[in-house]
Amino acid sequence: MPAYPLMFTFRDAVSGNGFLAGVTLSGRALMVHEDDTWWLYGVRPGAIAETGQTPQETFLRFRNTYKMVLFDFAEESADFEAYKKEVERFYYEPDAEEERRWMEAFQDLRSGKAQPEAPFSSLPMESPETRPTQIAVECLTAIGTRFTPTDNVPDLFSRAA
Amino acid sequence: MSASVLFKDVEALKQCAKGSTWRVATHFRIVKYNNRVFPALPKHDSIELGHIRKMIRYLGIDRDCAKKILPV
Repeated sequence: MPAYPLMFTFRDAVSGNGFLAGVTLSGRALMVHEDDTWWLYGVRPGAIAETGQTPQETFLRFRNTYKMVLFDFAEESADFEAYKKEVERFYYEPDAEEERRWMEAFQDLRSGKAQPEAPFSSLPMESPETRPTQIAVECLTAIGTRFTPTDNVPDLFSRAA
Repeated sequence: MSASVLFKDVEALKQCAKGSTWRVATHFRIVKYNNRVFPALPKHDSIELGHIRKMIRYLGIDRDCAKKILPV
């Protein structure tokens, strides 16, 4: 069974000690079938993994684990600047081995060496070049911050192709 | 159900990661080693092996040493 190189975008509002932070992350993760179950390993951010009986359950658990990590950071940060620093460290610390595995899986699928199976075959496909990894940590309680409905970002999972 | 090991057995990895620090936050255990932080080790008494494999890879814990302790 092939490994699946996935891309995702999450946006969260996180309450901290005297601040409200907006965290928008476009990242990478690798879905594999191991130990008779599904695992989703974070590539960027790299320090996260989740499992489930189905890919869909694994997505949801990965999403929730990511959010809970942001909550732990908020509890341990004295102010917004400390929180921003911690979230960015979490995002920028690379996992070189996982990045290599992600790239190999991507090349296997792009070259046709591996064929995606359901439900991955019906996931939206995107080129990694069109969705670069990035993170933005904003202080939503900063004076002058304006809010509009266009700030809302739905969770997005896609397959790199 | 994914294969799991007891946390007390996972803690034995400390002998493969001299100088590592392990502590508990509200939602997860946080392990620091090699100037890196793994903030998402589950707090359950039993931990699935994928989480441990990920932590070993991410923190750069000696795999040969880890394999003597856990089936990773």
